[in-house]
Amino acid sequence: METLNFLAQGFDVALRPINLLVALFGAFVGTVVGLLPGLGPINGVAILLPLAFALGLPPETALILLAAVYLGCEYGGRISAILLNVPGDAAAIMTTLDGYPMARQGKAGIALSLSAMSSFIGSTIATIGVVLFAPILANWAVAFGPAEYFVLMVFAIACLGGMVGDKPVKTLLSALIGLGLATVGVDATTGVYRFTFDSVGLSDGIQFVIVVIGLFSVSEVLLMLEHTATGQQAVKASGRMLFNFKEFSFTWWSSVRSSLSGFVIGVLPGAGATIASAISYMSEKRMAGSSGRFGEGDLRGVAAPEAANNASACGSLIPMLTLGVPGSGTTAVMIGALTLYNITPGPLLFEQQPDVVWGLIASLFIGNVILLVMNIPLVGLFARMLSVPTWILVPAITIVSVVGVYAVHSTTFDLVLMAALGVFGYLLRKMDFPLSSLILGFVLGELMESNLRRALSITDGDLGILWSSPITIALWVLTAIMLALPGIRWMRARRAKAKLVHA
Amino acid sequence: MYVRIFAAVWLLVCALLAVVAWGFQAPFSYDPVGPRAYPLLLLFLMATAAIWLIYKPGDADNLPISWPLARKVALCVFALFAYALLFEPLGFIVSTSLVGFGLGLLFLGRPLASLVSGVLMGLLLYGLFDYLLDVPLPLGLLAFLEN
Repeated sequence: METLNFLAQGFDVALRPINLLVALFGAFVGTVVGLLPGLGPINGVAILLPLAFALGLPPETALILLAAVYLGCEYGGRISAILLNVPGDAAAIMTTLDGYPMARQGKAGIALSLSAMSSFIGSTIATIGVVLFAPILANWAVAFGPAEYFVLMVFAIACLGGMVGDKPVKTLLSALIGLGLATVGVDATTGVYRFTFDSVGLSDGIQFVIVVIGLFSVSEVLLMLEHTATGQQAVKASGRMLFNFKEFSFTWWSSVRSSLSGFVIGVLPGAGATIASAISYMSEKRMAGSSGRFGEGDLRGVAAPEAANNASACGSLIPMLTLGVPGSGTTAVMIGALTLYNITPGPLLFEQQPDVVWGLIASLFIGNVILLVMNIPLVGLFARMLSVPTWILVPAITIVSVVGVYAVHSTTFDLVLMAALGVFGYLLRKMDFPLSSLILGFVLGELMESNLRRALSITDGDLGILWSSPITIALWVLTAIMLALPGIRWMRARRAKAKLVHA
Repeated sequence: MYVRIFAAVWLLVCALLAVVAWGFQAPFSYDPVGPRAYPLLLLFLMATAAIWLIYKPGDADNLPISWPLARKVALCVFALFAYALLFEPLGFIVSTSLVGFGLGLLFLGRPLASLVSGVLMGLLLYGLFDYLLDVPLPLGLLAFLEN
């Protein structure tokens, strides 16, 4: 009952004209960013964040903007997946498998409208999940002390290594680089300058906005150089533009199942929308058995991954809001956004900033309706955005990124640092280091160190406090399992290979 | 090979930073850990991961370098740094027109079209940010227009 009251309060915030306007704008920009191949939710959020801050938007409005962009990207990714066979963002890879064949068969309109509907189902189910579970988790997490927090963050980082799978060491190294970048600047407890090399620009640390824009937007510009010459033609969406009731009921249970699994995967720290859509596609394919035509344009093959990636995007807001530990790269950026406003995400957020939390949750419901309404009739307009040439698009991205960085401090130093981080990010991406774990590390870095030091100052340096409570012990066990996962998978693969050789 | 080289360079960086970090000492502090232990721990873990990657760089390590692409990347990096450095001295409108033109060419736009789009973006985005969105941008060379 109490939850309903808070939710009503949230709708009160989210329905303010400015917030509605911002949600509408964010949903539109998000869809566009999502459908442009190469630009994903992190880029969208990264580019808009400094502008939101420079505009002086209140924190709840800024967060609503970012969440609308995030959700919009998950909607937009499917458009280029279906029409171009190129996923607009990483989470839409699975949508290409059946979406593009459908488009080739002249059913692009059906694929687009049906996937918009399943995206809507996915986000709505997951948002209800957020309403039900987030307050419970927040209540429980209030009991966390600094030691518990420290171990929780270790667990979150271990999750990345365990979940991303095929390159655990690279994932961990990028998370460590992120943690390391966060130590630059003046140490909050003792006032000692660390890794500043006597530079004034570095003395209060590397600004979050510079790291995000440098690593993601600038490196993206460099990566796009590889695709300058693509003259790919989008399939014209023709024929019936809306799915019928039979098609809807055929995919209904796939969407619901995928929404639930996507939500759970989204809640886990580290595992994001990409993994959620892959898992749900695979399991739907297995469940359909020989009756399915997966890979040749099965309706469920479009509905399942879209429901899952939207559900996981919403689900990843739970660890962010309740624990202050992001569940994905994009929520890591949103946490960074909150800290710009001097709001520390964590269990107390629900008590101290109910407007922010519940306004955000309510705005998810509203944003979803906006996106559904926007995406079905306007899909033709969005599809036309795919033909914006890169020689206009790339300079525009570059300029907006630079303005975003300049808006923070107005110094040349920041711009040069941004370019340097962009080159660094480009090299890392070329070598297959996941940047989302770097940004996660950077966001968690300061919290992690301060919690560790606070915990140890309670016991005057005795490390025992880090494994003295049941919660910390359980988290250490989970961490060990996560770190062992890649090893177990590797052993299994080796054994399977050995068997193959013997047989 | 590249992952190995990167890991080796990173190992070296870790060693150098560790030397720097060794000097972090608070004159007086009530905090038993101090400013030095945590960065050193991170550097140690990073060095371990780097050694692992030198030993086992993974599959992505054998990709061939495409030299024409590398030249383009170098040009693009140059354009980005030039933009960053000239942003304040030349001002937003001039530097943006230049970078819009340069990047447009690099991304295979026709010269005239890139020039027009660069100049237009410089002017329009200045109007958008400075007047509508209230983000202050430098005028640089064009500062005389303000008076």
